[in-house]
Amino acid sequence: MEYIRLQEKLPPKEYRSDIEPTWCPGCGDFGVVTALTKAFSEEKLDPAAITMTSGIGCSSRLPLWMNAFGVHTAHGRALPAAVGIRLAKPETPTIVTAGDGDIFSIGMEHFPHTARKNFDITLVVMDNRMYALTKNQTSPTSRYGYKGSLNPYGNIEDPFNVIKFAIASGATFVAQSYAGNPKHLAETIQKAIEHKGFSFVNVLSPCPTFNKIDTFKYYKGRLIDINKELGHDPSDMKAALELASHALDADYPELEDAEPFKGKRPIGIFYQVQKETFEERVAKLKEKYAPPSGEPDWDEILAQYRP
Amino acid sequence: MAFDLTVKYAGEGGEGVISAGDFTMRAASNLGYEVVTFKSFPAEIKGGYALSQVRMSDEKILSQGDGFDILVAFNGEAYEVNKPLLRKGNVLIWDGPEGGDFEPDLEELEKMGVFVYAVPMSKLAKEEVGAYITKNIIAVASVFELFGFPIEVLKEEIVKKFSKKGEDVVNLNFKAIEVAQNYIKEHIKKVDPYKVPGPLPKKDVIILEGNEAIALGAAVAGCKVFAAYPITPATTVGNYLAPIILKTGGFVYQSEDEISSMAAIIGASFAGAKAMTATSGPGISLMQELIGLASMTELPTVIVDVQRAGPSTGMPTKHEQADLFAAALGGHGDDQRIVIAPKNVEENFYLTIEAFNLAEKYQLPVLMLTDGSLSLRAEAIPTPDIKKIKENLVERPVVRKEDVKPEELENLFRYAITESGISPVFVPGESPKPYTATGLEHAENSRPRTTPNERTVMMDKRFRKIARVEEENPHLVEWDLGDLQEGDKADIAVVAWGLTASIAQEAVKRLRDKGYKIAALYPKILYPVPKNALEKLASMADKILVPEASYLGHFARFMKMFTNIPQEKIVQFNIYRGEPFIPKEIEEKILELLGEKVSA
Repeated sequence: MEYIRLQEKLPPKEYRSDIEPTWCPGCGDFGVVTALTKAFSEEKLDPAAITMTSGIGCSSRLPLWMNAFGVHTAHGRALPAAVGIRLAKPETPTIVTAGDGDIFSIGMEHFPHTARKNFDITLVVMDNRMYALTKNQTSPTSRYGYKGSLNPYGNIEDPFNVIKFAIASGATFVAQSYAGNPKHLAETIQKAIEHKGFSFVNVLSPCPTFNKIDTFKYYKGRLIDINKELGHDPSDMKAALELASHALDADYPELEDAEPFKGKRPIGIFYQVQKETFEERVAKLKEKYAPPSGEPDWDEILAQYRP
Repeated sequence: MAFDLTVKYAGEGGEGVISAGDFTMRAASNLGYEVVTFKSFPAEIKGGYALSQVRMSDEKILSQGDGFDILVAFNGEAYEVNKPLLRKGNVLIWDGPEGGDFEPDLEELEKMGVFVYAVPMSKLAKEEVGAYITKNIIAVASVFELFGFPIEVLKEEIVKKFSKKGEDVVNLNFKAIEVAQNYIKEHIKKVDPYKVPGPLPKKDVIILEGNEAIALGAAVAGCKVFAAYPITPATTVGNYLAPIILKTGGFVYQSEDEISSMAAIIGASFAGAKAMTATSGPGISLMQELIGLASMTELPTVIVDVQRAGPSTGMPTKHEQADLFAAALGGHGDDQRIVIAPKNVEENFYLTIEAFNLAEKYQLPVLMLTDGSLSLRAEAIPTPDIKKIKENLVERPVVRKEDVKPEELENLFRYAITESGISPVFVPGESPKPYTATGLEHAENSRPRTTPNERTVMMDKRFRKIARVEEENPHLVEWDLGDLQEGDKADIAVVAWGLTASIAQEAVKRLRDKGYKIAALYPKILYPVPKNALEKLASMADKILVPEASYLGHFARFMKMFTNIPQEKIVQFNIYRGEPFIPKEIEEKILELLGEKVSA
């Protein structure tokens, strides 16, 4: 199903609403807003025909800052709400913006199913590796040893490898980018939107207020582009899984020199494959069973209930 | 005296007890009779006690009735369970004299005046037909032969049901019919008085089960997205809807859990589609947060709760009506919902359509409460006039690009404060002005706001939507006054909802026939509570009996909470045994309240 698009490009700022973000100065998520507006502009999307959903958390406020249709749902429920939109209006591109706690903790049951069903949804996770809106608790992506308010002695859990999980779940586009690299981020998000099927972009997005470890300063010089620098081919699933397995190596000092990333954080497209989307399969069924008029023969339907 | 006959098949789940009842029901309807069925089976796939009861009459049937006239006991357990219910004049057909697993107390039954026929169903199926699986067909054919149903009608039903499976299957069942007929002719001397009087003029009816009626209603109402997660006894709504909705360009979506179902219908509704889910108690508990979101974002959604006995997992296949509090007030904060409840299969169909109309008109979640017994109850209902229904469907007031001048956009707000509380609707891809629907408190323009004044204004706006629901929808209460006029003095008043209303109605009718003056009200809308109607009814009698199949009696307590009816007038009558009421117990309760002696 083709998206509704404009004839002419709109300037990126036209995709911003006039609501000022409530984020702290220096929040990585600002970079995601900028990247989204650029991608929307490049794709010539119609603000009145973009659908966004989000859950709860700092980053989940994002749809409110945008000039687009959005549902700011309950905690963790952005993906299934997006599914409803896909079923009702597949001609509107659907972007889900969320945080790591929202998607990978409370909303976790939705991620693998939405991914494997291959709904044509672009999921952008702003991964600050902790809960910020509730003032610093560990999330599923927090580092081992990270001090949150509920575990002041340091996190005793290991972080969740979301990249590996996304590939294993059947997502057909899996990428990681960085809020501090606007060009890479905008291009990655644009590719994710262009991708027909479930696309997941994990954005390393520092929280300057609470997370004093995963900061812009930390990331500087510690990123490695897997496509450009390592020549990774996203169509190679085996290689993608192998690379993804090392996505969190940099968390552990003992892996400082380990291949393939040598203490760096990978960005780039890990995996991409074209598969029929859920919406395309629904459309085929409708084509087979629904009359073009959309109005079935009710007498025929009623006949099956006659004594 | 009207012809009114009830046949009950009882046995083990998986033995064909349910389809025996279905064959009988379809045949009776085919002959032009009114039919109502009652079925019950365990939550397990195989084994356990199952029953299927068919009531048929040449007059309108209100409920499943008090008991049965003819009992077909497939096994010893079925006999033992039903033995205490056998009365003088009943017929018992049992699996004997050989080949079955039990022997009834023949002497005792004879003394009681029960007519007993031994038909060796198991043995005939095994030895004469050569297939034990045909035991239920032997049972049904025996009933047909003994009570004068034309056997051709059964054959027609068999062809309808089994022709897809091939000629061999049809012939096997035909053989079972023949074996049963021969056995009855040779071995049974009919001594009971029951006989079906013969065919009546054919009526323009369709036969629907409760959940089937909901599915059909949803399709007719224009539901385009149905999202659900399997749960007894609600699953079959989706089963029935899946093939029909595709023909209308819609889709049945199986989600990963009930929370996702609710989220999906919110998303679909936001995107402009009529959307619905169906679940049962545990699912309603899971959906509460998101029902609140639908209310806060004013997105029309329809949620069917096929109630089962709770709390927790409770008794998944058993009857109860104890989800009203959860349906109306189960969320956190003060949200706005409408709760309705049908009393029979016909109302399942029409109230499902009504649920969509109410949701679209008032832009909020509408919950429809049915129950497990009603989900399985089959009725023949007059064939609905689809064209007429479709002409009267309510569609939401979507603001379309072509309807608005650019200069008007600035002051056009999704949550505009209006006198009715109802605001214009914006839909992606159709409306010119994007907005974000948020669960945060918000202003007219949908921006998050928390100032005391804006909060108060917005709460008042949302609550205005439901303030006039009763006034604007008088058809959502059913008055049953008999010869009384509104305001006349009655001996007693009765209020009942859901399936219980259909049962109370039969009790009321019987007592009216005996000369009692009874004023009854069967609300189809339960929340907002139809205060004016209830208070009007209360003015007609000193006592109001409110029978409910729940321990707490949710609606009676709503009457105490939300109306000015003196508390002492309201008499609760609560059962919570996992079965619906029978008319007789409501009849006796009324007589007891009137100080009448109840004959045993």
